[in-house]
Amino acid sequence: MREVAIIANVKIAVIDEDVVVRDFVVSTLMYSVNRNILAFDNGFDAWIHFEESGFPDVVVADVNLQEIDGLTLTSKIKQVQPQTIVALFSDTPQNENAAKEHGADVFMAKPFGVNELFNLVQTFVVEPDSSEDDSAEF
Amino acid sequence: MLRLGTKPEYMREMELDDIFLSRLQLLVIMAKAYLNQYPLGEFRQRSIIENAALVRIDAEGLAEEASALETDNLDSGGMDFEPVFYQRIKLLTVMAEAFAKGHALENHKREALEHNLESICEAITFRKKLSEMQFLKVA
Repeated sequence: MREVAIIANVKIAVIDEDVVVRDFVVSTLMYSVNRNILAFDNGFDAWIHFEESGFPDVVVADVNLQEIDGLTLTSKIKQVQPQTIVALFSDTPQNENAAKEHGADVFMAKPFGVNELFNLVQTFVVEPDSSEDDSAEF
Repeated sequence: MLRLGTKPEYMREMELDDIFLSRLQLLVIMAKAYLNQYPLGEFRQRSIIENAALVRIDAEGLAEEASALETDNLDSGGMDFEPVFYQRIKLLTVMAEAFAKGHALENHKREALEHNLESICEAITFRKKLSEMQFLKVA
């Protein structure tokens, strides 16, 4: 079986004012990494928390947020803590270029599902250190 | 920048049906991972219990809706599953809560869970194998 390692004490934050989407993202990420996930419903509260308690390894946020929107939040995070991975999601195609210009590492186009969140974890939270596979499948 | 999700021409707001199907997929993955003896852990257990509870609430509502539409012979206009499908989902949520709370599923219950998963997976599609989700093998 392939041996993998999740970043030790990985810290992930999810920011979305839509509680249904936010809770789904939190559930999926919590299950994926078996760690607590920080959740916020606006960019300002998230930013204050990051400044006071330290920046997460990964931030997953909607572009449309109250007080500090996702694009502005991305720029602020990248200025202070460039190694934090920022994944922005949106239902508007025009926001993809804006996300790139503001320094986002990932753009997640709505609607997205479990696979996209698993890809995010596999790409940024997991470090494989051997290559043997197994056969469990759906 | 990595791009994930829908093509630009299909982008739209996420609806309750999207969330229900995604949560159901997640629940199936949780059950498959359990059957493959992947490790649990405090937060995975919490996530399974919360996810199962939310899926059950939605399934109960959708089952009532499907029954009413079937009785009135109306088009659902959205997801088009038989009422028995929702009963299978409710059963899966009960089984998931049981294993997440540490109640071991003995042989006949494991077989029932496998059979239930097979039936549910006939109706929903997956794009990944469980073995591709390497991070589920560590807790």
